[in-house]
Amino acid sequence: MTVASAVPTAAVRPRKPAPSRGLIVGLVVAVLITAWAAWQIDFTLAPLFTDFANGWVVVEQFLHPHWSFLTDSWDAWVETVSIAIIASFFGVGLGLVLAYMASSVTNRDARLYRATKWFLSVLRSLPDVAYVLIFVAIVGVGSLAGMLALFVFNIGIAAKLTSETIDAVDPGPLEAADASGAGTFSRARWAVQPQILPNFLSYALYVFELNIRASVVIGYAGGGGIGHLIQVQFARFNYENVSALVISMFLVVLVIDQLSQYLRRRLV
Amino acid sequence: MSTEATTRPRVVRPAEPSKIRATVGAIVLVLVVIAAGRFSNAAWGNLSDLLTDGWKYFYLMVKGVMQNPFSDPYSGYWTEAVKGMLESISMAWIGTMIGAVLSVPLGFLAARNVAHPVVVQVTRVFLNIVRTIPELIFAIILLLPIFGFGPNAGALALGVGAIGTLGKLTAEALEGIDPGPVEAARAAGASHGAILRWTYWSQVLPEVLAFWLYRFEINIRASAILGVIGAGGIGAVLNQAFRYREWDYIGILLFVIIVVTVLVDTISGAVRHRIIAGTGVTDRDIVTEPVGL
Repeated sequence: MTVASAVPTAAVRPRKPAPSRGLIVGLVVAVLITAWAAWQIDFTLAPLFTDFANGWVVVEQFLHPHWSFLTDSWDAWVETVSIAIIASFFGVGLGLVLAYMASSVTNRDARLYRATKWFLSVLRSLPDVAYVLIFVAIVGVGSLAGMLALFVFNIGIAAKLTSETIDAVDPGPLEAADASGAGTFSRARWAVQPQILPNFLSYALYVFELNIRASVVIGYAGGGGIGHLIQVQFARFNYENVSALVISMFLVVLVIDQLSQYLRRRLV
Repeated sequence: MSTEATTRPRVVRPAEPSKIRATVGAIVLVLVVIAAGRFSNAAWGNLSDLLTDGWKYFYLMVKGVMQNPFSDPYSGYWTEAVKGMLESISMAWIGTMIGAVLSVPLGFLAARNVAHPVVVQVTRVFLNIVRTIPELIFAIILLLPIFGFGPNAGALALGVGAIGTLGKLTAEALEGIDPGPVEAARAAGASHGAILRWTYWSQVLPEVLAFWLYRFEINIRASAILGVIGAGGIGAVLNQAFRYREWDYIGILLFVIIVVTVLVDTISGAVRHRIIAGTGVTDRDIVTEPVGL
């Protein structure tokens, strides 16, 4: 009986299918790209073992934050939050208009729709830091440049997210508006806007949150606020001060993150 | 009959809902914005430069792109731009790989239907902390002191930054799997490791691959940012060009960034669509829940 049961099971079991060609090609391509990329940037983990002691001196300073410096950072924090508020307010506002233009639901002019979409994807493809550099060159170092940079950056994000929401609205109210002879504007205002408003407000909060997060980068490139202070302290090797600023940054981001998550849950 | 038609709807029409909350909210918002305008220390007077200098510089940038790319200074600009961009892409790719490899075990540990509740909580807190800290901070604190300036440190910073979002998304995908195959495997007497590999991981693999690709797109933008603090890539080149106000060079650099980013987004979007087509998850599900654009 033991022989009888052992032989059929081995024979019955289906053969394992060979891995598909697509999978093999995909894996080989991924490995090749990784190898090439690693070679491009001279990727190495060696310093982790050889230069760890050098780095540790700095890390140790980071572990002893200079808390009293935080009182000096108050003005920079007010500046950062102000920059974020203004940039989100105007960026999201203009973003809403562009979102209506970038959705085929509300924009029935095919050419204008395409042009808006193209414009937005160009706008989004530049990182925030590039905008800061541009505006610093035009209006000079300071919070105005940071504000303008975030403003342009926010337009792209808000318009993309909102136009995707507009694409997905319930067509019922739209048909009702069309049947009653509404024009493009009142159609958008009365048939679409009530439907997307909760999502739109939640995106606005998300954009505000992103702006606070981005403030380090913005300030580093010359856009004022807390990032500027971090850069100055870093350049003077005051790592204890940088550490305190980074921790306060972390706490502020965490608080705003929680607050906006709470508000967003209530909105949507 | 005409009087009937005019009076009846007026009686039936319900009272308009109160708008007090919305109005108060709007007034408060406007007041906050005005206050922010005062506290921001912005040099509002310089705003007019936008119209005068802004156009002038824009014209210079466009002129730089329009020049014959094989004539003398411009061929050098284009080579530098492409070289910097390739370095940025490499940083983004390596960063994504580091994030991907490290986020998988963390994702399993943070999934409620895989790990012990205590482990889940601890892992989630860790992932959230990583997620809130901007990449730039990682680069400044941990990497520059040890790895020095250069793209290597940048790639590591991107990798560490990617762990937070990728781990969270992986955990959420794992929590959303169909429990049927898990029960089947358990009934067939599969070991714990085999269950994780063949029922959990097989189900989420397409989604997770799509997350990785999405993160790669984000990392390309982020790698340009890291250049400003000296972590190499096109950001470093751009920073340099801005220091000397070479607007034609800047125009070429921005042009290369825009073209490559749009190209990578299109390719990776198409690949993402193909990967995910079979699992019933649409592309929109990933993108509209923004995790760190």
